[in-house]
Amino acid sequence: MISPLRPAPPLLLLLPAMALVPVLVALPFLVHGGGWDLIAQFLLAALHPSLDPLVLGSALSGLGVTVAIALLGWALSLALGLGAGLLSSRTLWATAWGLRWPAELIRRLLALPRSIHELLWGLLLLQLLGLQPAVAVLAIALPFGALVARVVADQLDALPGARLEALRAAGAPAGPALLTALGPALLPGVISYGGYRLECALRSATLLGVFGLGGLGTDLRLTLQSLQFNELWSGLWLLLATMLVLEGLVRLLRRRWCLPNRFGAGASGVGRRGREIAFLILLLLPLLLLQARAIGVDPMVLLHWNPLPNWGTSLRPAEVLALPWASLVGQTLGLTLLAAALAVGLAPLLLLLVAPWPWGRVLLQLVWALGRLWPPPLTALLLLFALKPGLVTAALALGFHNLGILGRLLLEAAEAAPEGAEQALAVAGTGPRLALLHGRYSALARSYLAYGAYRSDVILRETVVVGLVGAAGLGTALLEALSSFAWDQLLALMAVYALLTLVGEDLSDRARRRLLRCP
Amino acid sequence: MRIRQPRALACASLSLVFTAAAATTVCGGLISRAQAQVKAVNPTPATNRVLRIGAIPDQKPEKLNRLYGLLSNELSRQLGFKVRYVPVTDYAAAVTAFRTGDLDLVWFGGLTGVQARLQKPGARVLAQRDIDVQFHSVFIANARSGLKPVLNVKGLSQLKGKRFTFGSESSTSGRLMPQVFLAKAGVKLTDFSGGAPGFSGSHDATIALVQSGAYDAGAVNEQVWKSSLHDRKVDRSKVIAIWRTPGYPDYHWIAQGDLDTRFGKGTTDRITAALVSLRRTNPSQAPILELFGAQQFVPAKADQYATIEKVGREIGKIR
Repeated sequence: MISPLRPAPPLLLLLPAMALVPVLVALPFLVHGGGWDLIAQFLLAALHPSLDPLVLGSALSGLGVTVAIALLGWALSLALGLGAGLLSSRTLWATAWGLRWPAELIRRLLALPRSIHELLWGLLLLQLLGLQPAVAVLAIALPFGALVARVVADQLDALPGARLEALRAAGAPAGPALLTALGPALLPGVISYGGYRLECALRSATLLGVFGLGGLGTDLRLTLQSLQFNELWSGLWLLLATMLVLEGLVRLLRRRWCLPNRFGAGASGVGRRGREIAFLILLLLPLLLLQARAIGVDPMVLLHWNPLPNWGTSLRPAEVLALPWASLVGQTLGLTLLAAALAVGLAPLLLLLVAPWPWGRVLLQLVWALGRLWPPPLTALLLLFALKPGLVTAALALGFHNLGILGRLLLEAAEAAPEGAEQALAVAGTGPRLALLHGRYSALARSYLAYGAYRSDVILRETVVVGLVGAAGLGTALLEALSSFAWDQLLALMAVYALLTLVGEDLSDRARRRLLRCP
Repeated sequence: MRIRQPRALACASLSLVFTAAAATTVCGGLISRAQAQVKAVNPTPATNRVLRIGAIPDQKPEKLNRLYGLLSNELSRQLGFKVRYVPVTDYAAAVTAFRTGDLDLVWFGGLTGVQARLQKPGARVLAQRDIDVQFHSVFIANARSGLKPVLNVKGLSQLKGKRFTFGSESSTSGRLMPQVFLAKAGVKLTDFSGGAPGFSGSHDATIALVQSGAYDAGAVNEQVWKSSLHDRKVDRSKVIAIWRTPGYPDYHWIAQGDLDTRFGKGTTDRITAALVSLRRTNPSQAPILELFGAQQFVPAKADQYATIEKVGREIGKIR
């Protein structure tokens, strides 16, 4: 079926970049330029990070806490996710008990923890458990666990059933049959996804710190707010080094173990070196225990719940209804779409622009790494030095962060794609940009955009973190409700957030399936 | 994809994992301050009692660390048990930490103090500074903003359409009272440039942002403003004061209601006495009062903050 209105793949890839037009139009009205001095100071300080042993020591210990929170939260989320994933697998229920509906039910229930951003989990758990390191770990583990569960269940149910049926027909009991038929096929995808989640966990742990839940993020925010840029950069460079080492390691292991990459469009490898993988997992356990001890995570705190204060007196339905819901939701959606379009559209555009210059790409990679690294609220605070508060400023901060993530994935996928077409075009005399666009990117367009659709869904959840900038929809209202201890408003806002995310998830799923199904 | 990679690479990757793991564990062991920040002490055994004091983070962390370090030592010396300062990162977190019992004695602002007492029945107001009986906020402006000093509250209407920042969302002198006076001048929060005010997080940050020109104007705690002027941290050619608010009650010490049962009979009164006895003439106590910007502490009562509670309720920060 060929529709005359369907854009060609290369064009499709660049379409989201159209979002730049309204931003560029709005920008002159947004710039106030009052703080250019500060921005210049901030950039210059990158070259002169503070080397004071006290500052470095504090940054290092902060980094230790952040890494420990990330690792513990990640490990716990994998454990929770695997368990919940198996429980929400239709194949598993059907094979073991001949039922399907419990899987559907568990799947629906798991959508709830997933729809709430880890920051909100953190702030809520803080109210219930007090100032505990376990709060940050749980805040990462709960939503991440639900995400992992979904991926595990989806992959499990998508596996071809022939082997399982053969084993069952031959009389194998349900348990061993499932393990033998599906286990080995499931593992590569799950381990690869697990590696990606670890990178996410490091970013989340940093972000939680920005909101006072411990670790380096706290130092980053305090040094930015007191304008001590040299000290800020000591922490940022350390964090960058950690992040790049982690990403490099994950990529190395993924290649070594022949696991599929994140785009998931290509054929997935079978996975190799099972013994090495098992050894590494065994090695991880004592390390996790040590880290839990080091940052003082105490599972017993889960038994001490503090009730929410003046819960009864703070219920005022009239005030909850009086919140400007329409504009809050509208702003949140606008913010999501703008940030997503900027991130999705800019990554290929920028890569094309710098295509003729090899150093251009290196520079771009560095800027993207910084984008991934900087928690969006910090970028937003920095942008306020030169831009007025509001939706576009918030979208720029969110867009920059996600551009860093999308750009890297696009670059990795492009490097793994076959070179033939691009070389053929280049040899035939096509310019480097066009050769790259038509030779490489057009083949990736659909899977890239499909990932972009998934990312928009993540961005919707993330809008809460740039609430600091003001006038940024539900996120701003949420932070204000939290500082007023207005539980009814807080819960109503979270419910609306959850609802939006669930609808968004559904829409982005449909978009992704369509993009991947089309030729 | 390459199928077989040299064995050296395998060793390298594994050893990297080890190194990274070891490094994080070592870092984890180094934690002191950051850990103290999040780590709460569960109900302490009677033999090893520590009084955990805290404060709303209204100024630069370096200054707070120095100030409360000195105060902890002094209180510890006078009271005869260990006193430890636990920093928190925002105002609401200080209130929450008090409610969940992670802090025993906290230096709250007017608004956060009322929030804390409402959330933790039985909590006791101990003392305030001499300056807190009639505390003031100062509206400051960037010299290039075109804003001029004014004589009365109505003059604040010139802030409409300007870029304006408060301090923390829950600050009494940096948000609550300034917002009350702005309302008296007919200025709504949506009247500012960009449709919303900024929230810088602390008074030092407000001064720095207004001085840099990132915001045209802001509202700060008068004591922090004066001490910045005194320390020559402010460039008077770049930032000016445009209006000083009338007085209102602000900062105060609040203690948990159960200190007497946990630390021994009369402990709460002994803490109040220790705070009130601090004098500028005592060389080890003078730096503390200097950093607090006060001559001395005086006993305080909860009903002094009734007006703060009233305006807090009007604005919706107290429920």
